[in-house]
Amino acid sequence: MEVTWILFTIGVALILAKIGDSIIERFELPGVLGELIMGMILGNLVYFGIVAPQYLPIVSGSGFTTSATEIADFLAKLGIIFLLFLGALDTDIDQLKKTGVTATVSTVLGVFTPLILAWYALMAMGYPSREAFAGGVLLTATSIGLTVRVMMDLGVLRSEVGAASLSASVMDDFLGIALVIFAVGSGSLLNLTVKIVAFFIITGVIGWYLVDYYIKFAERLHVEKGILGMAVGMMFIFASLAEGWFAAAIEGAFMMGLILSKLPEGKRLMEDARAIGYGLLVPFFFVHTGAMLDMKVFENANALVLAAVMSVIAVIGKILGRGFGAWITAWGRGREFLTTRENAWMSLQMGIGSIPRTEVALVDLMVAIQGKAIPPSDAPKFIAATLIFITVSVLITPPLLKWAFAKEIQEAKDAKAAEKVGKIQETKERIKELKGSR
Amino acid sequence: MELESALEKFHSLKLAGLIPKPESMPVVTEDTDIMSVLKILRTRHHVWVVKDKKSMELVGVIHYLDVMDIFLPPDAHKFKLGMTSRTLRSLLGGAEKAGDVAEREVLAIEDTATVLDALIKMRRYRSQVLAVVEGDVLVGEISLRILIDEFLRLLRVGGATWKSLGSSSQSELP
Repeated sequence: MEVTWILFTIGVALILAKIGDSIIERFELPGVLGELIMGMILGNLVYFGIVAPQYLPIVSGSGFTTSATEIADFLAKLGIIFLLFLGALDTDIDQLKKTGVTATVSTVLGVFTPLILAWYALMAMGYPSREAFAGGVLLTATSIGLTVRVMMDLGVLRSEVGAASLSASVMDDFLGIALVIFAVGSGSLLNLTVKIVAFFIITGVIGWYLVDYYIKFAERLHVEKGILGMAVGMMFIFASLAEGWFAAAIEGAFMMGLILSKLPEGKRLMEDARAIGYGLLVPFFFVHTGAMLDMKVFENANALVLAAVMSVIAVIGKILGRGFGAWITAWGRGREFLTTRENAWMSLQMGIGSIPRTEVALVDLMVAIQGKAIPPSDAPKFIAATLIFITVSVLITPPLLKWAFAKEIQEAKDAKAAEKVGKIQETKERIKELKGSR
Repeated sequence: MELESALEKFHSLKLAGLIPKPESMPVVTEDTDIMSVLKILRTRHHVWVVKDKKSMELVGVIHYLDVMDIFLPPDAHKFKLGMTSRTLRSLLGGAEKAGDVAEREVLAIEDTATVLDALIKMRRYRSQVLAVVEGDVLVGEISLRILIDEFLRLLRVGGATWKSLGSSSQSELP
């Protein structure tokens, strides 16, 4: 009976995820928001008294046995692993190599400012240091997708600010994914650091140099989807190593994706891996995360206060951190540019472009909950707060970007208008010339 | 020549003897504008992008199917974690030069490999063209079109008669 309802729930979750994704995309917002909302609806059918708990294994602690909800949890965990693997596989390492001083400084400050602000704010609110740090980590990584789309619409993606925002956000993801280790990892800081260094040497350096041979070996097997199977198999081994060492399987998946991304053969796995990820596991993860939102949590004022504090820091922390980071570098134009209005404005644009948060915040949230950095008693509050600050960040960014780039948009409009006037003038002069020659 | 023995000979051919001269290949430099690339893609299935034509250092390749990414409007692109590379190939995303839209990780093969090796690699990675490189330098290409030409040439040169009864290809033989 349980298997029946697990299969039914997976089916409903996937269908709702895709419908939610499509609806939200029509509003030019990240589709992930639609998947989360569908999850929130599905997960709270019990809260609204529509479905009895025993028919909803997607919600932990419902009427199902532990094994049933564990299956849903594990599928969602596979979703996170695939999300990070795919993200890394599609990462353009060249983009990272191009990162200039402005992007580097602004990324580092843009990551650590919200982290430290949230860490101290949450400690002041009475949360233990480790939990407060985990809360801060949730605010570190920018989701560049929305910013790219808006900047593209505004025609400013290839501007100095657009290019710097893009390369900063690649690095931003790296830091956001790496920092969660310090939230969930156990033992002393030294012990943890040694483990991290050892992990990156084993997976990074060795993997980087041996992956060619590994793929060639996989090619020789001559079996159906042999290379995909071998690559995904190694990805899970990396993930298990990371899970065993610092309770963060995502780091292993991310590393394997990065290693494979340097090979043309690795990039060719993308479509097959994407079919597994975005056809099944990743949407299930987003719906599952949405379903974990327990509406009862809003009956508690603490959850709303936490959501408000995290939302404010998510916005202000990024604008301040990334904006200040860009400002002090003066965009590589020397000291005289430092105090100009243009420097301040470009830095503000850079800061605003880094506000949106989506996937990495959700991934870090789940890793922090599973790694017990956020204890089960506080998990509902953090889930609610994360979903709220994600929604706030995604909704306020497009109008803020339009405001910040108003001058550039007007200049582009004026240039187009001037071009049109010029063409009309040219045509008139030709007509005159033709009339004169007659 | 028996079809079977013709195929056997075909499979064992070394690529070095089949690759065209670099002058006859569709090659552009990184800073070539996209409109020139599109003009080439009207008649070719791919364009190689090199650093400069003297060194022929391979930077990437633009496939025929990549044109879809170049033409699509921003709202047709899905934004997921890490997935901005396709979006950046869009004309509306500000792509202007061949280097902006080229796929950097190019499937390549050595010229000492055989036709069979090339076919296996093409099928495995669903690619209709492979770069032939020496280090980072583009020295040739091997495509399905070249292989078809070579196969037909092989049958003709050998004075072969097509033994596969009922094949419509018989009429193409001299």
